Amino acid sequence: MTRRQKLTTYAVVVPFAIFLAFPFYFALVTMFKTNLDLANVENSPYVYNDPEGNFHWDFWNFATFEHVTFLFEETNYPRWLLNTALVGLAVVAITLALAMPAGYALARLAGGWGQGAGVAIFLVYLIPPTLLFLPLSRLITQLDLKDSLWSLVLIYPSFTVPFATWLLMGFFKTIPQELEDAALIDGASRLKAFAVIVLPISLPGILTVVIFAFSLCVNEFIYAFTFISSSEQRTVSAGVPNDLIRGDVFFWQSLMAAVLIPAIPLALLYNAFLDRFIKGFTGGAFR
Amino acid sequence: MADVSDELERPSSTLTRGGLLKKGAAGAFAVAMFGGLADKSFGFYGPLKFAHKQLAGELRIMQWAHFVPAYDQWLDNTYIKRWGEANDVEVKVDHINNALLYSTGASQVAAQSGHDLFWFISPPSTFQKQTVPVTDLVQEVSRKLGPMSRVARKSTYNPKTKQFYGFPDDYAPDPVQYRRSYLQEAGVSLNTWEDLRKGAPKLKQIGHPVGLGMSNEIDSNMLLTSLLYCYGGFIQNEENRIVIGQGANRRGAIQALTVMRDIYRNGMTDEVFAWTAASNNQAFLAGRLSVALNAISIVRSAENSGNAALSDDTFLASIPRGPVMRMGNEHVMGVFVIWKFAKNKEAARKYLVDQQLGYREHFIRSQFYNFPAWTGAIDGGFKSIRRMSAQDDHKPKGKYTILTTIAEKYTTNPGHPGNTTPVIDEIFNTYLIPQMFAEVAQGKMTPSEGVSAFARKANAIYRKWKNQGLV
Repeated sequence: MTRRQKLTTYAVVVPFAIFLAFPFYFALVTMFKTNLDLANVENSPYVYNDPEGNFHWDFWNFATFEHVTFLFEETNYPRWLLNTALVGLAVVAITLALAMPAGYALARLAGGWGQGAGVAIFLVYLIPPTLLFLPLSRLITQLDLKDSLWSLVLIYPSFTVPFATWLLMGFFKTIPQELEDAALIDGASRLKAFAVIVLPISLPGILTVVIFAFSLCVNEFIYAFTFISSSEQRTVSAGVPNDLIRGDVFFWQSLMAAVLIPAIPLALLYNAFLDRFIKGFTGGAFR
Repeated sequence: MADVSDELERPSSTLTRGGLLKKGAAGAFAVAMFGGLADKSFGFYGPLKFAHKQLAGELRIMQWAHFVPAYDQWLDNTYIKRWGEANDVEVKVDHINNALLYSTGASQVAAQSGHDLFWFISPPSTFQKQTVPVTDLVQEVSRKLGPMSRVARKSTYNPKTKQFYGFPDDYAPDPVQYRRSYLQEAGVSLNTWEDLRKGAPKLKQIGHPVGLGMSNEIDSNMLLTSLLYCYGGFIQNEENRIVIGQGANRRGAIQALTVMRDIYRNGMTDEVFAWTAASNNQAFLAGRLSVALNAISIVRSAENSGNAALSDDTFLASIPRGPVMRMGNEHVMGVFVIWKFAKNKEAARKYLVDQQLGYREHFIRSQFYNFPAWTGAIDGGFKSIRRMSAQDDHKPKGKYTILTTIAEKYTTNPGHPGNTTPVIDEIFNTYLIPQMFAEVAQGKMTPSEGVSAFARKANAIYRKWKNQGLV
């Protein structure tokens, strides 16, 4: 890459990166602001100000941990983080266990109607939870799963599995049939060929499913809110807006902290597997 | 292009990134499936023990997340434990955001399962076929405390069924909150709606517009219905029949719509059409608004912000007077219902009575937000309430005394002069009133067309509930 090409690249990428990083910066600054600093509209919202509204380089003397401490000590936030992680991991495991064989079967074994079935399964993903939460609420009650994380573990796969099946079906289709045929001729069973040949090659697709399914679980609100009503059983997506918006009052600094904390590991996870994630979504087209 | 054989031949003895991920996922999955998710085995739900005693019953309550966190902390950690121990019942209170109360209530009704007691922020009369009448409890409390306040009675009594479908617990008066320095600078008075109509352009001119919502949210609902009362544009009459499209009511409603259109055009900004219940708080606390109508959450938040320039300059006042009356809806009417599917109805009934009989502490802990449904719950009634609120030491001193006047003289129920029927509840929950005002303010309809369209919809809702035998 020439110097000029590099400069052009940076000229495009740097402003874009700053634009995308800005919400994180804003949340980071706000979470440590004092009430007085935050409430005074004459103050700059992007830095810490003294009571007179002036900026100082020893800005940490004008920031406070009070609202982060409130979040961790006066709310069930640590519990919500744990609940979110547990539900997310369980749902990812269930999703993989169901979607991998389903996607493979649709790609390899279903013949001509596999594609149609795959699309039909994907369409299930598009049914909005706002239509489903009332009848599902009745189901959850009948199963005696109200106020239990198991309700989410049961229901979340209803939207993660269709998407994952559709995505993996496309991915499996790109893997040359000849590789499996060779294994079958060498005496491997279909299951062994799938496990030894197909799965390792499909890692980008599987990682995409893992990250995407986990993100869906972290973001989901309606089911998490409807099926669980006790604060200590909630996940982050339902607990934060519920306990940090009280009546008309928003606890802005704690809200910012509550949003930023789970966003960072998710962002790192996406970043760590970015290349595989892109491969997963492009269906291994360049393999 | 990646080589497939590279992936297949990767040595397995070293801990690769993939291997780490697999092992981590397997470990987490095992913990999730057999450890952390087994919440009941962890005892999250195990009955609490008081004084080494296992409590016999269980009572589950759902109510809003109070805007005073300290109130909820006291309620959850002190009050219900004390009451539970005395009554041998394990009480658990869940709190949710007020905007989600109705949808959560609807979901519990759909599932025919949920909490024993459910608190609503406004009278939930559309749910009354799902609730246990509490007329006997109302009579019991009235025998001990004297008559229930009018606002509470009209909110929860159905004259058709002759039953109280819900138990009124508390209400919050709805004062005007204003920045005195801005009003003085612009030379504006808030005594009448006409004063505000004339003053609104001056306030906007000095950079501090009026903030009266016309959006699908509770504050707009309460405020705009109050404006209708002040001009005599009543939606229904004392017999709970829809009358807004007729005679003096129609003329009053047209006047109210015209006044609000003028205030908007000359003294407000477009944002009021997209407000949430919190928006007027935020705009006021940001120092932009000169006038807003809300319960005391604005002024309490100003005090908590530490911004003395803001809080010392924020005053409370009664709703402006109209040509017919000075009258406003309550801002919050806290009504508990006992669902028919509640598992512990007896404990629920006892809880309601006991809470009301000892409401003084709730009033104080809520920082004067929760007024008791029975004024007699506080010894000395309004006199004591006025004295207590006068002792609040925040500046400007004595600003909370006006709340007593508003509660005593200028607070009524949605549906005034009738009851808060299912018709009124549905009109509120479908936000027909803010929509009517917004369409007129935006010039999509004339005030006359707005009233006619609203009356048609209101009459259709009335017929629906009449067919169900509830009006």
